[in-house]
Amino acid sequence: MDMETSFAAILPVAFGGALLVYLAGKVSGALRNVLAVLLAAAPVALVAVLYGREVRIVYYSLPFLDAQLALRTDALAWLFAIAVAAIGLLSIVFSLRYMQGGERLDFYYFAMLLVNAAMLGIVFSADLLSLFVFWEILSWATYLLISYRGGKAVAAGLKYMVMSIAGSCAMLLAVASLYATCWTFDIAALARQVGAMSAAYRLFILLMFVLAFGIKNAIVPVHVWLPDAHSEAVSPFSAVLSSVLVRMGIYGLMLIMYGVLGQGGLAELKLGPVTFAHVLCWVAAVTILVPLFIAMLQDDAKRLIAWSSVGHGGYMVLGIAFGTTLGVAGGLFHALNYAACVALLFLAVGAVEHRTGTRDLNELGGLMKRMPVTFVTALVGVCGLIGVPLTNGFVSKWFIYKTLIMEGHPFLALVALVGTWATILYGYKLIHNAFLGQLPSRCREVREVHFSMQLPMILLALAVILFGVLPGIPVRAISSVQVSLGLEALESGLWALPPAVGELNTINILAGVVASLAIVYVGFALAKKARRVDQFDSYGAGSYVPPDRYQYSVNFYQRAHELIGPYVRDRVDDFYGWLVAKAEGFFEEARKIYTGNVNTYAAYIVLLAALLIVLKIGGQFG
Amino acid sequence: MDRAEILKTLKSPAKWGQKYSLWAVYFCTGCGVVEIPPVITSRWDAERFGVLPMATPRQANLFLITGYVSVKTLGAIIRTYDQMPNPKYVVGFGSCPVNGGMYWDSYNTIKHLDKYLPVDGWIAGCMPRPEAIFVAVVHLWQMIDKGIATGYERYKDNYEYYQTNQRAILPHLAKFAGAEAAPGRNS
Amino acid sequence: MMAASTVTRIVSIAALPVVGFLVGVLFLGLSRKITARIHRRYGPPLYQPIIDVVKLLTQKENISHGILFDLGILLGLAGALITMVFIPAGGLRPLSASGDFLVVLYLMLLSPLGVALAAGASENPNASIGVSRKFILALGYEVPFLMAALAVMTRFQTTSLLEVVSCQEGSVLDWGVFVLPLPAVATFLILPAMLGIRPFDFAGAPQEIASGPMVELGGKYLAFAAIQGALHTYVVLALFVDLFLGGGASMLTFLAKMLAVFFVGVCINAVLPRFRVEQGLRYLWKWPTILAFFGLLIVALRLE
Repeated sequence: MDMETSFAAILPVAFGGALLVYLAGKVSGALRNVLAVLLAAAPVALVAVLYGREVRIVYYSLPFLDAQLALRTDALAWLFAIAVAAIGLLSIVFSLRYMQGGERLDFYYFAMLLVNAAMLGIVFSADLLSLFVFWEILSWATYLLISYRGGKAVAAGLKYMVMSIAGSCAMLLAVASLYATCWTFDIAALARQVGAMSAAYRLFILLMFVLAFGIKNAIVPVHVWLPDAHSEAVSPFSAVLSSVLVRMGIYGLMLIMYGVLGQGGLAELKLGPVTFAHVLCWVAAVTILVPLFIAMLQDDAKRLIAWSSVGHGGYMVLGIAFGTTLGVAGGLFHALNYAACVALLFLAVGAVEHRTGTRDLNELGGLMKRMPVTFVTALVGVCGLIGVPLTNGFVSKWFIYKTLIMEGHPFLALVALVGTWATILYGYKLIHNAFLGQLPSRCREVREVHFSMQLPMILLALAVILFGVLPGIPVRAISSVQVSLGLEALESGLWALPPAVGELNTINILAGVVASLAIVYVGFALAKKARRVDQFDSYGAGSYVPPDRYQYSVNFYQRAHELIGPYVRDRVDDFYGWLVAKAEGFFEEARKIYTGNVNTYAAYIVLLAALLIVLKIGGQFG
Repeated sequence: MDRAEILKTLKSPAKWGQKYSLWAVYFCTGCGVVEIPPVITSRWDAERFGVLPMATPRQANLFLITGYVSVKTLGAIIRTYDQMPNPKYVVGFGSCPVNGGMYWDSYNTIKHLDKYLPVDGWIAGCMPRPEAIFVAVVHLWQMIDKGIATGYERYKDNYEYYQTNQRAILPHLAKFAGAEAAPGRNS
Repeated sequence: MMAASTVTRIVSIAALPVVGFLVGVLFLGLSRKITARIHRRYGPPLYQPIIDVVKLLTQKENISHGILFDLGILLGLAGALITMVFIPAGGLRPLSASGDFLVVLYLMLLSPLGVALAAGASENPNASIGVSRKFILALGYEVPFLMAALAVMTRFQTTSLLEVVSCQEGSVLDWGVFVLPLPAVATFLILPAMLGIRPFDFAGAPQEIASGPMVELGGKYLAFAAIQGALHTYVVLALFVDLFLGGGASMLTFLAKMLAVFFVGVCINAVLPRFRVEQGLRYLWKWPTILAFFGLLIVALRLE
């Protein structure tokens, strides 16, 4: 099978697979599950063979607009496609057990595969019209999946839908305007022609696209849909939503900012000394700072991770907007790393919710004794989020910090570094309140989840560690992306950066940590072996341990909450709420035109006729 | 004080450590504890003997039972003692742990502490002065040197005896797994 | 030639933790003696921490709450050990080429993370409260500290600690404390918080939360935690000396500078009471942050 056929097969397999799974579900549940896994695995294989190739195929010729809709794969598309396919497969595998016994499962698997297929369509589009079509399919499928559970989820889905439509309108405006100017939808052709446009026009186009992609990626101030949507969606879909779906915004930003406008073109969009990229960097900085502190104050585990998603999206936009080699590499790498970590965390919280029935952090505790695999993988995920050395998050954040410092933007670096400390706080809160401390008596019979639910978490945790110790593997792929977009390549060995770039040698760090642990363990083993005590033999000031009442979870950071709480309220959400309330009030008043009384309607007609006559007569005199 | 004698130290570093680093669990069992703050602060300075107050029994190896022991406090004392890791030393401070002292005819105090816990030494007085604590500490050093400060081993070897006495006076005592695994945990 | 340089390298990598351990223990003993003399009493001998550690390690019984409890303490001490190896210390600069200041900042996370995991595994709310207080304190002092560190890195145009030290090598007037006075003063004001001494020792307050994260640590676990505390003190002091006091041409001058800074810290610890958590946070985010912010602003404006 040559490259063209295998590339051409991806989207039909993906979309057709969704439909096939739905129909198979009508026949039998087991058949549907098996087919779902197989059809989720097929795109992974098909995309994997395309590494390093550039293929382009035309799949439809529009008769009326004289346009050809095409698909293409290059380094950027491949990077996102493999992430989409892999995480899609892992969440389908997780769903097998998690959703077992749920209702409307045929629809669920259909929608999951449809979302997968739409994302693959987005990254493989070679022209803006295909991009827009797949974008719309994605938005609708996402809405259906977010409101899958009913109840509060429907409101969350509606919020998402309204904002997504606003973004899509902006995108449609930009696409139509570009077509009207350049008479082509093709991205490569636009890239050539757009250099001749005026800076103001290019800024307008960029602004429209940034709005559309920014809404998807949830940058402040258009982030308000994300916390509700992520908490109310089912956990496997939250994993997909948070790891790859919102990063479609990052893909779009990369495409437009560097694929179409180019680095030089970006530098020309400025007002005095302030470039657009500069403004975008500061917007990203606000997106890092405030949401990560809001995450610290959450009690719902999924809401906490959702706010974390908003904040870390800021890191990615910051890296990409900053524009240096290390910056773009850091932003893209962080998108990849964060995808692994957050998918892992949503799956882990889903596993906990599956077994204990709650995701309220105030009611859990001590689960590491009953669910050890979930605990270890969640710990690895949180460490990746924080950026502990030897995890992948550390390397990508290191790139971002280093470039911000070396290029002389210390305040942006400060925001990025303080954001990590907020991450440490809420990361530990998540791990502690769910897995550490005393086990409540109602969770005493909780078992570990089934292996099919453990497997995706284990694989993601391994990826976190592997990319942390050998960052050269993904960095090489990212470097080829940069080259393909006209930026400088980032040279790097498998585990060490060349001295010109910076001092980072992950294998030495790993060797040091292992050696230190070995030395310390020798001393540890030489002392007397410890006697194990259980959770009821704990210090209680001479009292026995009161069961179920000896866990410090509620108000975990109360002192910090008192100090910073008033400043980190989501005022943007309040503003939107106020806007919606005012608009509803206005529409209520406007509705009163329809009185239902025929006499009023007759009066309207007469008044309108009189107005028109007056205008016509007035126009003849004017 | 032979703290700085290196040869003796090298023969048994464990003993050297246990002697000159006695950490007392800061459990105020009775009125006798009023003598402890002067001992551990500047005027009498127990730190030069290596004696420090510690917040939790896990970190301590010396237990000063200061003053009278009411029946309710005995439960807390037993649980605290069980949570201390071996080797541990108990010193009865004041007359009340010895023979009931001032409360010799009370219905609610323990008259003979060593029926319930193994005691390594007693300090008589009501109250003993802070200097008496230092005399006791030096005495304890000599006992550790000779290897006769073995209250914790007595506790392990005669656990049945101690447990019977404890349960006789505290029938619903919720204990930890002490020297042996003790039945009955939550009450 | 190759063999000789590799051997020197390995010796210097191995020597630094040993030196750090001895220095840490000495500083612990010194702090207790100096505190005692300030309190007008005699105090324990200088080698008292050695007696304590020996006692704890030779205890006949150790209590553990499970495998994460053990691993957490091991990671706590290993993290402190590995961090030491990346900080240039006088003539010894073993692994500084494999990790710059950003790596050191993040390796400094491993040790508290290990202790926090062990504290969580202790299944005791006192430990959890202690860890939450510790993290709030860290959030408090990291804001001004990061501003000061960024000022240093931006001023010397490097993220490598080796280069920061070599930029200060000219004369005493090249030291960070004279070149960057505001960040240096801000870091000095938050030094007690970073060391975890009074007035910021509320994370492990014996009287309030029964020693916080160390509530269930006994025997060898407590010994490791104590050693980890000593090594953490070494790391913080070494960073301060490297960033603002010109590092050290040789190990002796380096240790002498650390001793001077430590002495001031001990004096502060001996006479001050303890802050409440919100008082500490408010203090750290007020004057040190303001000073460090203006220091960073001055450096950033100089770049234009």
